[in-house]
Amino acid sequence: MNDTGRMPEVALDEAAAHAAVRDIEVDRKALDASIAEFAGPNADYYARAFHRIHETTGPIPRTFNLAAFLAGPFWAAARGAWGMFWTFLIVEIIAFVQIGRGTWGQLGADALAQAERQAARAQQFLDRAAEAAAAGQDASRFETLGNNLMRAAERSRETAEAAAADANMILLTGLGFLLALRLVQALWANSVYEKQYSRWRVDPAGVASGRRPFNMALGIALGIVIIPLTVYRFTVEGVAEWITTFPADPDIYSNSARWLEGVIDDAARGGAGAFDGIVLAVRQILDAISLALIGTPWLVVMTVIIVVGWRVAGPRVAIFTAAALAYIAFLGYWEIAMETVALVGAAVVLCVVIGIPLGIWFGKSPRAYRIAEPVLDLMQTLPAFVYLIPIIAFFGTGNPPGILATIIFGMPPVIRLTALGVRGVPDSIKEAATAFGATRWELLKDVELPLAQPSIMTGVNQTILMCLSMVVIISLIGGGGLGQVILEALQFAAKGPGLLGGFAILFVAMVIDRIVQGAFRRADQK
Amino acid sequence: MTETVVELSHVWKVFGAQAAETISAAQNGPLSKAEALEKYKTVIGVRDASFSVARGEIFCIMGLSGSGKSTLVRHVNRLIEPSAGTIRVLGEDVSAMGQTALREMRARHIGMVFQHMALMPHRSVRDNVAYPLAIRKIPKSRRWAISEHTLGLVDLTGYEDRLPKELSGGMQQRVGIARALASDPEILLMDEPFSALDPLIRLQLQDQFKALVRDLGKSTLFITHDLDEAIRIGHRIAIMKDGVIVQIGTPEEIVTEPADDYVAEFVQGISRLKLVKAHTIMQPLNGHAPPEEAKRVSGESDLDALIDISVGSDQPLVVQDDGQDVGVITKTTLLRGIQGGK
Repeated sequence: MNDTGRMPEVALDEAAAHAAVRDIEVDRKALDASIAEFAGPNADYYARAFHRIHETTGPIPRTFNLAAFLAGPFWAAARGAWGMFWTFLIVEIIAFVQIGRGTWGQLGADALAQAERQAARAQQFLDRAAEAAAAGQDASRFETLGNNLMRAAERSRETAEAAAADANMILLTGLGFLLALRLVQALWANSVYEKQYSRWRVDPAGVASGRRPFNMALGIALGIVIIPLTVYRFTVEGVAEWITTFPADPDIYSNSARWLEGVIDDAARGGAGAFDGIVLAVRQILDAISLALIGTPWLVVMTVIIVVGWRVAGPRVAIFTAAALAYIAFLGYWEIAMETVALVGAAVVLCVVIGIPLGIWFGKSPRAYRIAEPVLDLMQTLPAFVYLIPIIAFFGTGNPPGILATIIFGMPPVIRLTALGVRGVPDSIKEAATAFGATRWELLKDVELPLAQPSIMTGVNQTILMCLSMVVIISLIGGGGLGQVILEALQFAAKGPGLLGGFAILFVAMVIDRIVQGAFRRADQK
Repeated sequence: MTETVVELSHVWKVFGAQAAETISAAQNGPLSKAEALEKYKTVIGVRDASFSVARGEIFCIMGLSGSGKSTLVRHVNRLIEPSAGTIRVLGEDVSAMGQTALREMRARHIGMVFQHMALMPHRSVRDNVAYPLAIRKIPKSRRWAISEHTLGLVDLTGYEDRLPKELSGGMQQRVGIARALASDPEILLMDEPFSALDPLIRLQLQDQFKALVRDLGKSTLFITHDLDEAIRIGHRIAIMKDGVIVQIGTPEEIVTEPADDYVAEFVQGISRLKLVKAHTIMQPLNGHAPPEEAKRVSGESDLDALIDISVGSDQPLVVQDDGQDVGVITKTTLLRGIQGGK
C-alpha cells in the first residue's frame, strides 16, 4: 500500500524531467558566433543556412547557395571543400565538352571530307568519260561509275548536314546538364559546408575554414589547366601532337640505360671477391642439403618424410604425404623435386639465421627499425623480375643466385614478425625480470624470446611459404628444380608436361606447408 | 626497530635533457611542474624526497596516479636512475654500485611485487617463484624445494605445476608475493600489489600480507593509492603529491594532524575509531584529583575500546600512563574525539 502512495511522486519527477528537456533553449548566440568564426565572409547567410539545416527533419534541407550556383566548383575550392571541388570539376568538364562540341565542334567533319573525296573522284571519272567520248570510245562505263560516286558523295553530304544539325541538340544537352549540376551544387553546398563546420569544431587547425584567397586561386588555376585543354582535346579535330603524346626525348632513355649499365658493371667488377664469396657460401649450404636429400637412398628419405609428417602433423597428413610422394616418384620427378626442396631449405635456413637476430635487434631498437622498415617494404613490394637483373650482374646465374633472390623475397616476414613479437613483450614482465637481477642475456633468453615465440613461428611459416612461391621464378635465372620443368614447358607451350610439373610443385608445397603447420600447431598447444 | 634498511636523501628525478638545470632552478626558487615543462622541456617526477625505512617496518607511500610514487620506489633497486640525491640500501650507496653488484643486490636483498603481477605466462607457478633463484644459479633441487616452501607461506600448496593463467587474480598476486619472498630478501618493494583486485580479496590479502611480513620480519616499502589500505597496513605513511612528499607520519598522526588541506581532504572519510588513541583526546588533569570510582584506561586504547568501556558507566574515564593518572575523558570529549576534535 505504501508503494502506491509513492507512485505519483515518481510520475511527477518523470514529468518534470521531460518538461526540462523540452524547455531547453537553443543557445543561438554562441552558435552564431562560432559559425561566424568558421565561415568568415557572409557569416550571417551561413548562420541562417546552418540553422535551417539543424532544424530540418526531412532528408534534404532546402537551402540555396547562390555563390555555389554561380561559381560551381570554384565556390567549393574557395571554401576549402576539396572533395566537392574535384567531384563537380570533373563532372562539369563533361558538360563543357558537350557545349564545346555543340558550339564550335566540326560535327560531321569526317563525313563532309569523305563527300568531298567522293565528289573529286566522281569528277575524275566524268572527265575520263568526256575524254573517251571525245576520242570516240565508249564512255558509258566511266559515266556510270562517276554518277554512282556522285550519288555516294551526295549521301555523305547529307549525313554531314544531319550531324551538323545535331549540334544544336548537343549544345542544349550540355547547357541543360551544366544547369542541373549547378542546381545540385547550389542545393547541396550548405549541407556539405555544415558537415565541414562540424568537423572544424573538433579539429579547428586541420579543417579549412573561411574563404581563403589562396584556395580560390588554387582552384581557379587547376580549372584553367584542366578545363580548356580537355575541352580543346575533345572538341577540335586534328589537335597538336604534344597534347596527346608526352614529348619524350629517346636520348634520355638510352643515356640513362648506358650509364646504369656502366655503374653495375663497375660495381660487379669491384666487389667480385665479396660476391663470389657469398655465392660460394650459399653453394656450400645448398650442396649439403642436396646431398642429404638426393644422395641418401630415396626409400630412406621418403620414409623419414612420411614418419615426420605422421609424428608432427598426424596420420591424415602422413597419408597425404605418402600419396604426394608417390605421384612425384612415379612420374620420375623425385630427384628434381628434391632439388626444389633443397633450394627452399637453403633459402629458409639463411632467412631464419639472418632474419631472427635482425628481428630481435629491430625489436629492441626503434631507431634501427625506423631505418630498416623502408628497406623491408622495398624488399616485399619490388616485383621479383626487377631484382633478378642486378642479381645476375653481381652473382651470375644458377642455383646460388636463385637462393639469394629467394632470400630477398622471403626474409621480410621473419624479420618483421620477430621484431613485432619482441616489441610486444609486456614491459612489466621485463621489468620484473630485471628487478630480480636478470642480465640482458637472461632477459632475452628467459622472457623476450619465449614470449615472442608464437610471433616468430608465424614469421618462419610465412617465410617458408614465400620461399616456396619464389623458387619457381628463379628458374628464369638458371635455378634448377621443378621450376625449370615448368619454364621449359612454357617455352614450348607443352601442355602435358607443364601440368604434370605444376602438380608436382603443388604437392611439394602442400606437403611442406601441412607438416610445418602441424608442427607449429603442436608447439602452440604446449 | 632502529636499524635503517633503506634511506633516501634529497632524491630528485627529472625526465628530459635539461635535468640538472631544472633541479638547480627548483632549488633556488619555486618552480612548478608547468614552468619546468615550458622552460626546460623537462618533467619533474620526484622532487627532493627523503625518508628512511627501519628494519621490520612497513612504510607506505600513498599518492594518486601521477604523484611519482611508483617512480620513487623504483629508485631503491635502481630500475630508475636518480637525477640527484643518494639512496642507501643496507648501508650501501646504490648509485655507486657496478652492474654486477647491482644485480647481486636485486637478486639477493630486494623482492618486488608488481601491480599487474608480471608473471611469466610460459612458466609454471613453481618456475615463476623460483626465477630469482635461477638467476642466482641455485641448483634445481634447491629451487624446487624453496619455491614449494614459499608457495606454502602464501597458501598455494598444490598449485605448483599450474600455469599462471589458470589461477585467479588474487592467487596470481600471491604467486607474485611468493616470488618476491623466494630469495628471502630483507626488503620488499610492493608497487600497488592489491590495486587490481576486487575489494573482498584485497582485504583478505592485506591481512594475510601484514601477518606474513610480521612473521618473517621483512622491511617493506608499500605503494598504494588507497589511504584505507595504507592505514591498514603501514606503520608509517608518506603522502605524495606532484612528486613531493607532503607528510610522513604514523596513521594516527596523518589522521589527527594533517599537514595541509590536501592531506586533510584525504583523511576526511577515514574512520578514526581504530586510529585515535586515548592520550590524543584526553584532557590533562591540571592537578585535579580524578574520581576514585571512575574506570581506568591505558593511553594506548583506541576510540573503539573507549566507547565500549564508556557505555557501561556514568563516570568519565581516567587515562593512565605507567600506572599514573594523567588525563580524563568525559563523554563529551569522547564524542568530539570521534567527530575529529572540533
